[in-house]
Amino acid sequence: MASHPRQRFPEGSNPFSRRTFLTAAGLAGAGLGLAACGNGATSGASSTQSIPLPRVNNPVTWPLSSSNPAIANGRSPESGATLKLYCWVAYVNQKVLNNFAKKYNCQVQVSTFNNTAEAMSKLSSGQMDYDVFFPTIDLIGPLTESELIRPLNHSYIPNISQAWNAFTNPFYDQEWRYSTPYTIFTTGIGWRKDLVNENPYDMANGWAMPWNAKYKGRVGILDDYREAAALGMLKNHLYDLNTTDLGQMATSTNSLIELNSLVSTQIDNNDYVNIPSGQAWIHEAWSGDMASSWQYLPKGQSIDTIGYWFPPNGKGPINNDLMVNLKAGQNPVLAHLLINDLLDLNNAIENMSYTGYMQPINGMTPSRLIAEGIIPPNLTSTVVRESDFNNGVRELALDPQVDAQYQQNWLRVSGGI
Amino acid sequence: MTMTPEKPKVITASPPAKTARQRRISMGWAAFAVPGILWLVFLFIVPMYTIFAVAGGHLNPIFNSPVPVWNPFAWSGANYVAVYHDFVGPTSFIGPILGRTVVYVVIASILSLLIAYPAAYFVARFAGKRKGLFLALMIAPFWISYMMRMLAWIDLLQTNGYINKALVNLHVISAPVNWLGGKSVTVVLGLVYGYIPYLILVLYAGLDRIDQRLIEAGRDLGLSRTQTFVTITLRLSRPAIITGMLITFLPMIGDYFTNQMLSGNVATSMIGNVIDAQLLTTSLQSEGAVLSLFLLVILLVPILYYVWQSRHSEDSVM
Amino acid sequence: MTAVLDSEVMTPATKRRSWRKNPWRKPVVLEAFTWAYLVWSIVPIVIAVIFSFNNGKSDSSWEGFSTRWYWGSTTNSVFENPVFRSAIEQTLRLAIISTILTMIVGVAFGIGIHRWRSKTSVTFNFVMVFSYVIPELIFGIAFFFVFTQLFTFVDLGTSAQILGLVTWNISWPAIIIFARLSSIGPAYEEAAADLGCSRLQSLRRVLLPMLMPAIFASTVLVFATCVDDFVICNLLSSSANTEPMSVFIYSSTHGGQSGPQLNALASLMLLFSLVAAAVGFLGYRWITRGERGAGRSQALESITGL
Repeated sequence: MASHPRQRFPEGSNPFSRRTFLTAAGLAGAGLGLAACGNGATSGASSTQSIPLPRVNNPVTWPLSSSNPAIANGRSPESGATLKLYCWVAYVNQKVLNNFAKKYNCQVQVSTFNNTAEAMSKLSSGQMDYDVFFPTIDLIGPLTESELIRPLNHSYIPNISQAWNAFTNPFYDQEWRYSTPYTIFTTGIGWRKDLVNENPYDMANGWAMPWNAKYKGRVGILDDYREAAALGMLKNHLYDLNTTDLGQMATSTNSLIELNSLVSTQIDNNDYVNIPSGQAWIHEAWSGDMASSWQYLPKGQSIDTIGYWFPPNGKGPINNDLMVNLKAGQNPVLAHLLINDLLDLNNAIENMSYTGYMQPINGMTPSRLIAEGIIPPNLTSTVVRESDFNNGVRELALDPQVDAQYQQNWLRVSGGI
Repeated sequence: MTMTPEKPKVITASPPAKTARQRRISMGWAAFAVPGILWLVFLFIVPMYTIFAVAGGHLNPIFNSPVPVWNPFAWSGANYVAVYHDFVGPTSFIGPILGRTVVYVVIASILSLLIAYPAAYFVARFAGKRKGLFLALMIAPFWISYMMRMLAWIDLLQTNGYINKALVNLHVISAPVNWLGGKSVTVVLGLVYGYIPYLILVLYAGLDRIDQRLIEAGRDLGLSRTQTFVTITLRLSRPAIITGMLITFLPMIGDYFTNQMLSGNVATSMIGNVIDAQLLTTSLQSEGAVLSLFLLVILLVPILYYVWQSRHSEDSVM
Repeated sequence: MTAVLDSEVMTPATKRRSWRKNPWRKPVVLEAFTWAYLVWSIVPIVIAVIFSFNNGKSDSSWEGFSTRWYWGSTTNSVFENPVFRSAIEQTLRLAIISTILTMIVGVAFGIGIHRWRSKTSVTFNFVMVFSYVIPELIFGIAFFFVFTQLFTFVDLGTSAQILGLVTWNISWPAIIIFARLSSIGPAYEEAAADLGCSRLQSLRRVLLPMLMPAIFASTVLVFATCVDDFVICNLLSSSANTEPMSVFIYSSTHGGQSGPQLNALASLMLLFSLVAAAVGFLGYRWITRGERGAGRSQALESITGL
């Protein structure tokens, strides 16, 4: 949802439109709406209205329905089938998919979406028979309520035992009935150690680092209304990123407007390339982007010039994506097997070498990732730790009206950029 | 295209009232126009009306998505009020953006004219035997994609790009300038570069049509070169100047991609960016509809002027 | 030419002064300015095309010649990466289909509006010019709303983009045909009628052949406009698969980011437009061969809509 890290081509341009984040983000409302419309007959508006909003302290167990059973145990994979994936661009390493196709003698076909609003509208049209979808956690409510996804049969997914404990029973989908985790990432601050004198690790509040007129024109924030709002709140020591308190929202907005006048904020999701290139010196950043930013360093520039700060106490935004099995898919067994495959440690490492984004799987430790050459030692801070899952703060689904307020505030900050 | 028929008009004294045959003929021609008319009704007038319906509509309270209202008597003013608060009051933010847009566009338009006019004037009047060459070179950018032209400047303006290298080597600047980091000058010049090919062609067409004999007559009557230019050429090319300025001014006002590509910084945001962002956010779409109507209204005078003018010069194409 | 005669008996200084006074002298400053303008408008693009052949990852420093951004790598070459290829295909798909539809509707509309003099035709001529001149952003917004709120049976994506592009471009053939008809006048048709042609026959045998140059010129123009279109395609695209090259380049460069593979993609767009222009130029010259006033410049002007 809000904080969707975007993927990129390993060597260069990012095929992503800004549309992604602006709408993707607004999804609490739109996604729900679309899903509900697509399924008006079965769920109806009244039930949609009451879709619960999962919170860490308000975990949700999505109901199972007799009209939407999980698949039976012990089925063999569909033969000669074409497994259809629906995901962001450049989101899964093709190599992993090729291996899967060989292993199960099937074809794997990848279709892409630009933002989750678009994806939800396609899926709820009922015309798509994709098997595996990679939603953000705010979509799990609409997806289950409108019965677009199947409950998972855990017997096909032994690798879930490799996932961090917290993820076998996450608050947004208790008993992981419908979903498994995919990537996980934090939001922090990336900066150029050689061009910026301050070090956020030495600062009382690292979130305040961008508010520094010295770096006018060299400060960027993420083009995402929730991530931006989060930065404004965290700068002011406000830790409820889903607050409905207008005063707190205004505090965040005003801080960001002040940031504009101090530094002429650059708004983009190019943290991973603008920091190594020196276009930006301080940038609100996603851990996965920074983990691969060293690949974009100009020739001759040291890796040590790049830093990523995430608060050592873990009080920063953390988010993860999911894998689900779509009910309209024709190959439920293969879908389960692919989900299982993507939870395999070796495949996860293969994937991370391509996307930069890690998965919450045992063994994805800093030492292993450094040994594999996926991240350099000085970017260890980009590795999400299991403890972060409990300590981190989260940007979660909001009531539509509240969401609209966040959107309006963001427009005031960004001026539409 | 100068195929003036020399054949005298065939004598067909038309009676004041249309004959049945003429009516039939007229209906026959109408049949040609009908698909286009239907097309414009359903795919231009109806879409334009939809903006009004969304602007005058309300929000679905559950999903905050726009619900259009088709009956004009049932239109609500809620979205208009919301946009009003974007202009006036404690949470207003559009005023400075609109002001910036106007300043950028006016400067870019004037610069475009100052650059395009002399070049077009030269090609139209003095290119002589090399006119084909000049014309081809002048027309080339018109055929080159806008995105390509912006991309070219992104390449040149990077921190380690050729522009910075050249300026540093020439000692114009001491350190590379961050041209792509929210510089107004970059955005304005980007607009000039982006839209000038359209302007220059209109100017050229206008200047090329000026009867050479008028200029010669001016000269023969003892006018100096400047006098001839001012009293004859400039005056006769005024319609082309106005048309050309309009066809660049109007799209520039709605531009949201030039500054996005060459700057991406809040310090250079324009009104088009606001509308674009609203359109991409479900809960703000109806306000986007209001804001685009607002833009349409302030542009209505130049638009209607253009339409009026084009009707009075049927043979001029652009 | 008295100035020339006088100068023979003048000193070099007065010669210079009289040269400045001579109304027929070559406008050197103006020519220099024009060349400067042409260099400014074309050289950056040439550089951008050159960088699409850069062997390095940079689009601002040259590291040797290579076609790697065109062929050879499934992740980085525009012809082999499926994402790039889909953008190229979408551009061509939109341009070809939209051009055909635009020409069918637009040519008939131009003829009909010109010959059918009535209140309705005048009104829709007005509507057509209006649609041509409003900012494309507003036009795109109208289409976005109509397809998401009213004609919901048209999905955003290819079909919406085509309908948008056709409407946006109808005025090209219509205006050009209209102008051509005005300059042809009614005489030829009347002559044909006198010779016993039915109206349809005279349309087919007389009018259409005379309109061919105009139809041809506007086809080329519409095609190139569709290849280049950004705003409509952007606002009406639905997924990564329905983004043509222009939208793809925009999305990727947002924030000042680029790379040689984008230059390669943009160079292809350039190639499409220039091929269209070349075909247009040569075709136009062929169609108008033997016509009075048909020269190179005239052909160039016509295919550019002048």
